[in-house]
Amino acid sequence: MVYKFGNRVRNAAIALLVGASVALGSAGTTSAGTDIAGKKVIFIPIAMGISLTEGWARRMKEDAALHGYTLEIRDPAFSSSAMAELLAKAISEKPDVLVVHNPTVQLLARQIKQAEAAGIKVLQLNLQSNQPSSAFVGANWTRIGHDVAEDIVKECGAGSGKSGKVAIIPGQLTAADSVMLNDAAFKVFKDHPEIQVVSNQASDWEPEKARQITATVLQQHPDLCAIFGHWDVHTMGAGHAVKDAGLEDKVLVYATGGGDNVTCKAVEDKILDRVWSYDADGQGRDAATMIDLLLQGASAKDGSMLSVDSPLKIIKAGPTYDPSLCWKM
Amino acid sequence: MPGVRMVPAMTETALSKMVGRREGGILERVVLAVTFGLVVIFTLFIDGFATAGNLRVVLSNSASLVMLSCGMAVVIISRGLDLSLIAQMVAGATIFSVMVSGGSPASLALLVAVVAMATVGFVNAFLIAYVGISAMLATLASAMFVTGVFRFAILRGEFILLLPKSNPAVMFLAGNILPGVTVPVALMIVTLVATALLLRVSTAGSVIYAMGDNYQAARLTGLPVRRTTVIVYVFASITALLAGLVTSAASGAVDFRTVSSGTLLFDVILVVVLGGIPLRGGRGGIRNILIGAALIAILRNGMTLMNFTTQTQDALRGVVLILAIVIDNYLNPRDTETDTVGDL
Repeated sequence: MVYKFGNRVRNAAIALLVGASVALGSAGTTSAGTDIAGKKVIFIPIAMGISLTEGWARRMKEDAALHGYTLEIRDPAFSSSAMAELLAKAISEKPDVLVVHNPTVQLLARQIKQAEAAGIKVLQLNLQSNQPSSAFVGANWTRIGHDVAEDIVKECGAGSGKSGKVAIIPGQLTAADSVMLNDAAFKVFKDHPEIQVVSNQASDWEPEKARQITATVLQQHPDLCAIFGHWDVHTMGAGHAVKDAGLEDKVLVYATGGGDNVTCKAVEDKILDRVWSYDADGQGRDAATMIDLLLQGASAKDGSMLSVDSPLKIIKAGPTYDPSLCWKM
Repeated sequence: MPGVRMVPAMTETALSKMVGRREGGILERVVLAVTFGLVVIFTLFIDGFATAGNLRVVLSNSASLVMLSCGMAVVIISRGLDLSLIAQMVAGATIFSVMVSGGSPASLALLVAVVAMATVGFVNAFLIAYVGISAMLATLASAMFVTGVFRFAILRGEFILLLPKSNPAVMFLAGNILPGVTVPVALMIVTLVATALLLRVSTAGSVIYAMGDNYQAARLTGLPVRRTTVIVYVFASITALLAGLVTSAASGAVDFRTVSSGTLLFDVILVVVLGGIPLRGGRGGIRNILIGAALIAILRNGMTLMNFTTQTQDALRGVVLILAIVIDNYLNPRDTETDTVGDL
C-alpha cells in the first residue's frame, strides 16, 4: 500500500519547482547535462556498508555519471570523530555541493554553517541537523512517528482489549530521527492515557542490544502489545526476542527503514510486523535530482531550505503484504 | 626506582588481616556481597525481577559474555591481554554465517571457523611469545587487521550481515537443546567446564599460573612458556568463536559495530576484574568469572527493567569498574615481585 500524504508531496513539488524556476530563470533555457559537468560533489554518510547508504550512493553515482559531475564518497565508518574530520577536509576542498548524513542533531551543525558561509551548498540527507542548510531530502520523521503512534493506539488502545503497553527502542536518544520520532509519538500517546510506554531504551543501533532489552522487557511485561523500533535493522534483534518467546502473534513489532528486500524477508519470517519504509532507492533518486538543481544554482526565494519529503510505503504483514514494496540492490 | 611503586614490607592490608584471608579473596567477597545486596533490592522493588523466566533471560543474555570472559580470564591469569577477542568473535561468526547462508553444511562451516580463529589465536601468541611484542599492542593490531580483512574481503564493505531466522543452523543455535536449557546456556556451561579443566587439571594450567605469578621466573626455570602462550591465545579464540555463534544466532545479525563500539570488550574486562582476577595475573579461576559475570548480568538486567537509558547504564558500569580497580589496588598492592616487566 503506497502511503498517501498529499500535503507533503505538494510541498516537495513546490520546493522543486521553486528551485527549478530559479535555475531556469537565471540561465534562460538550460540543460543539466551541459551546465553541471565538471562540478564536484562530496558525500559523507554515517557509514557505507549498510543498504541505506549503499542504495543512495548507487543512484547518486548513476546521476553523476549521466551528467558528468564528480561524486566522491568519504566513509567515516560509524566514527563521529572521523566524520567531523572528513567534513572539515571536504570544506577545505570547496566542493560545489556537500551531501551529509547527520548522526545527531548537533554533531555537524557548526561545520554545516561553516560550509554554507564558505559558499558550499549543503544537502542534508534523511537525518537533519539543528542547523538549516541549502536543502534537505529525506523522511518526514515527525509524520512517521505520529502515524506509527496512531497505529499503535488503534491496535493497543481503548477498545482493543490489549494491555496498551508499548516498548520503544530508539537508535540513540540524540539521533535526529529518534528525537523526532519520540517527540511525535509521545504527543500522540499523551492524548491516550491507556497507552503505557514501559520501556524507552536505546540500542545504539545494534540488533543484539535490542534483543537483550526486548527479552528482558518481555519477562516483566508478557502482555506487551507493541514494540516501536526506530530502525528496522536493530529492531530485527527485538523481533527475534519476540519470536524466541513465542509471542510473535501477540506482540506487534513496528519499525522504520529504507525498505530493501531484507526488510521484506523479515516481515515474511514474522520478525517484523509493520515497517514504515522511506524507500532508500527512491531517496537516492530524489537526492540526485536535488544535487542537479543545487549545481544549477537552485535556492528557495526566501533563503529557506529546499525540502523534499520522501514518499512512504507501509510494508505490512498479513493478507495485504506486498513484497514488491521492497527494493533490491 | 622509576616505574616501580615501592610499598611497605608488610604487604597485607588491615582489612585482609581482619578477615584473616589471603588478599586475593577479598574483592570477590565484596563483589559477591554487592551482588547479593542488588538481588535483594531488585527483588523488593522491581516487579518481575525474581521470577524463573527472568532468571532464564539473565542466563541467556549473559551466555556470550561468560564465554568471552572465560577466554579473557585465562589470558589475564597468564599475565596477558587479548584486545582482539571481540573482533575474533564477530569474524568467526561471519565465516560460519556466510558459509551456512551459502548452503554449506553447518559442521563444515564450524570446522572452517574453528581453524580460522585458531590461526588468529596462534598468530597473536606468536607475536607475543616469539616476536616479543606486548600483548596489548599485538592483539590491538590483530583486532584491526581481522576487522578490516573480514569486512572488506568477506562482507565486501558491509557492516552487518543479517541472518534469516528460518536457517536450520540459526534455529538450532538459538533454540533449546533440552527442555528449559537453551543452546547458548549449554555452550556456556561447556566453556566453563573446559576452562576449569584447562586451569586446574592440565599441565598447561600450572604453567599459566606460574607465568602470571612471575613470567621471568617461569621462563628461567625451563617451563614451556611460549608453547603455553599459544595454548592460552588459541583457547581464547575458540571461546570468542562460540560466543559469536550464539550471539549472531540469537539476534539474527553479525554486526561489526560491536567491535568498534567497544562496550562488549569493556564488559568482558569488567567481569574478569570484578570477579577478583588481578590484571597482573597469577590468580583466579572459574569462581571469579562466575562472580564477576553475576554482578554485571544482574546489574544490567535490573537497570533494563528499571528503564535506565543505555548511557546511564554505561556510566554506572564505568563507576563500578573504577571502584573495583581502586579496591583491587588497595587489597592487592603491587610489590617488587609482582610489578615486573609485562605488567599492564
